[in-house]
Amino acid sequence: MNDTTQAKRSDEPVWWALFSAGGVCFAVVVPGAILALALLPAFGGFSADNLSYPRISALLHDALWGLAGLAFIGSVICLPLFHAAHRIHHGLHDLKLGGGLLSKVLCYGSAAALSLLALYLIS
Amino acid sequence: MSKTINIARYNPQTDSQPQLQAFQVDSDNSTSVLDALLQVQQQDPSLGFRWSCRMAICGSCGVMVNGIPKLGCKTFLRDYPDKLTVSALAHFNVEKDLIVDMQPFLTHLAAVKPYLINAEQSSQPHRQTPAQLAKYQQFANCINCGLCYSACPQFGLNPEFLGPAAITLAQRYNLDSRDAGKAARMPELNSKNGVWGCTFVGFCSEVCPKKVDPAAAVNQGKVASASDFIISMFKP
Ligand code: SF4
Ligand code: FES
Repeated sequence: MNDTTQAKRSDEPVWWALFSAGGVCFAVVVPGAILALALLPAFGGFSADNLSYPRISALLHDALWGLAGLAFIGSVICLPLFHAAHRIHHGLHDLKLGGGLLSKVLCYGSAAALSLLALYLIS
Repeated sequence: MSKTINIARYNPQTDSQPQLQAFQVDSDNSTSVLDALLQVQQQDPSLGFRWSCRMAICGSCGVMVNGIPKLGCKTFLRDYPDKLTVSALAHFNVEKDLIVDMQPFLTHLAAVKPYLINAEQSSQPHRQTPAQLAKYQQFANCINCGLCYSACPQFGLNPEFLGPAAITLAQRYNLDSRDAGKAARMPELNSKNGVWGCTFVGFCSEVCPKKVDPAAAVNQGKVASASDFIISMFKP
């Protein structure tokens, strides 16, 4: 706390940035996806044919050279996963159950693993 | 009108933990918790508590009223028609009755170098536009009462956390156009006990008697620390 020993920089900005980005996705993109993929077809907003495999597959893999699919998975699965992981990590600290390196590795590690799995599944 | 007030008494020499003691006080529409404590002190001169200005400016009369951090002089008995319990500020060590050891708080305040840092020597006045003043003015209203530390669960869990008022004070100087000390303050803010110790509970801003909004300052500090992080990646 004095001039001679400078406090170590926290790596938290990285997790906080992912958390914030994930929060925006959770609030905006995820409800949009639920609306488009679940509610509108269910309530007859548009016909289920619009969600046919060839159509969705083309959207995910071909639109914008595959970037559309990447953006969709990133904003509906990966970033929200990091958002949730951050919450759980800090929640564990609040419950005095963790918050240290182990919970960090477990929380962000599972977010990363599940993100990779999601990306693998659409690749 | 007579009213019962329960006070958490604690004498470190004899008690293992605080004990509630009930007192009767006279109360009308204008009786503050501090007035009530002064009445109790007439009945029992051994009651320990701090106060000075009686007008919400010195910041020394902080206590928990029914478990919420409050200034005794700015809190009125009329707003507590039912039970009224006064205890020492949470998250600090109690020295006696309602007196706590504020040293950890003061150490955190000092750690952020809360003064103008500027190598430039000039005998001219340092002019500031209203817009430049508006950037930090609200954060300069802190009276160092420490209520926000009692409200902050993260400070409760980790006393090393710089805490709301200290981070606010750092922002107050970092945002001041006359100051050039941001680089010297950022390392404290960038650390895990700096802005990143906050999980944005926001209770600090609710209890602040001066509407300083320390939670806003901490969040601005997070943005500042995140940009400092990115800038540092491009520096050797
Ligand atoms: S920010 Fe508000 S609650 Fe915290 S010490 Fe300053 S005046 Fe008190
Ligand atoms: S006595 Fe000064 S703030 Fe209450």
